[in-house]
Amino acid sequence: MPPAEPVAAVPSPTDAALIAAWQGGDEQAAAELVRRHARALARFLAGAGAPEEDLDDLVQETFIRAFRAVGSFRGQCRFRTWLLTIGGNVLKDAHRRAKRSRVVPLGDDVRSTDGDPHERAVAAEAEKRLGDGLRRLPRLQREVFLLRAQQGLEYDEIAAALGTTPGAARVHYHHAVKRLKEYVK
Amino acid sequence: MNDDGTAHDATLEDAARRLGAGAADRLDVERTVQAVLTRLREEPRVPLRAAWAWSRPAWLKIAAALVIVAGAGVVTRGVRQTPSGAAAPVETVDLSDMSAPQLRELLRTVEQPGTQEPVSSQDVGLEDLSPAQLRTLLASLEMET
Repeated sequence: MPPAEPVAAVPSPTDAALIAAWQGGDEQAAAELVRRHARALARFLAGAGAPEEDLDDLVQETFIRAFRAVGSFRGQCRFRTWLLTIGGNVLKDAHRRAKRSRVVPLGDDVRSTDGDPHERAVAAEAEKRLGDGLRRLPRLQREVFLLRAQQGLEYDEIAAALGTTPGAARVHYHHAVKRLKEYVK
Repeated sequence: MNDDGTAHDATLEDAARRLGAGAADRLDVERTVQAVLTRLREEPRVPLRAAWAWSRPAWLKIAAALVIVAGAGVVTRGVRQTPSGAAAPVETVDLSDMSAPQLRELLRTVEQPGTQEPVSSQDVGLEDLSPAQLRTLLASLEMET
């Protein structure tokens, strides 16, 4: 009996392949895209000031808009980055409708009981101040900061998604950091 | 992020990385998947005509802004050109009656040189635009047509 050949890992389809499949009517391709990017989108929205109780609705709405408009996605940036910018628009519309600002609830990570209580308290305070500071920033600075610091994107990618230049994105980031340091320190 | 000179600010970066993580972890992704699929099934794709109808308010805003700018220009010109100081009669501008060349001429009339600013469509609504930015937007729309 010949030795069994090692099972080759099946590469997961790329976002581009899933998008093409969805455009061809494959509903499961859309489902996989949601599974792949929902948490990153939720983090971005929560960081940008979305109340946790609205997070599920905002994530859904963002995906719906993205799937409806996916024909206009030209691959100028990654699908996730494009999705996050749509999320920013969805959140802006939601804020306009609400006509009032709400406080981002602290997550369980902040209320975690792990680790040194003093360090936990310092981290929680820093995160709260950062959230407060982000809400005071102009939208572009806030989104550039989150895409860079929270999502770890490069300036080229951020610029392509936001329709600006890498240099301008860098300037927005520095302005955001300068102002946020005032809140966090 | 060493090139940013912010690597030393570990507190800010740590807080940024944690921001929203708890809320995201609590998101029921499978429920979100099912909700999105249900909405995609129930809400048929918007046909092109409906999309055009949806975007019409934006065009109406642009038209309204154009009328205001054109009206202001006509009034200003009338006041300047009347030697006795009395304002000249102001004609009503009806854009729907104007041909494309007339609209282009109108845009040239209201255009003020040296005040163009780059306009990004990412984060501004029409109500956020300055008159100069509105003129730039209108000029770019005209070029597209």
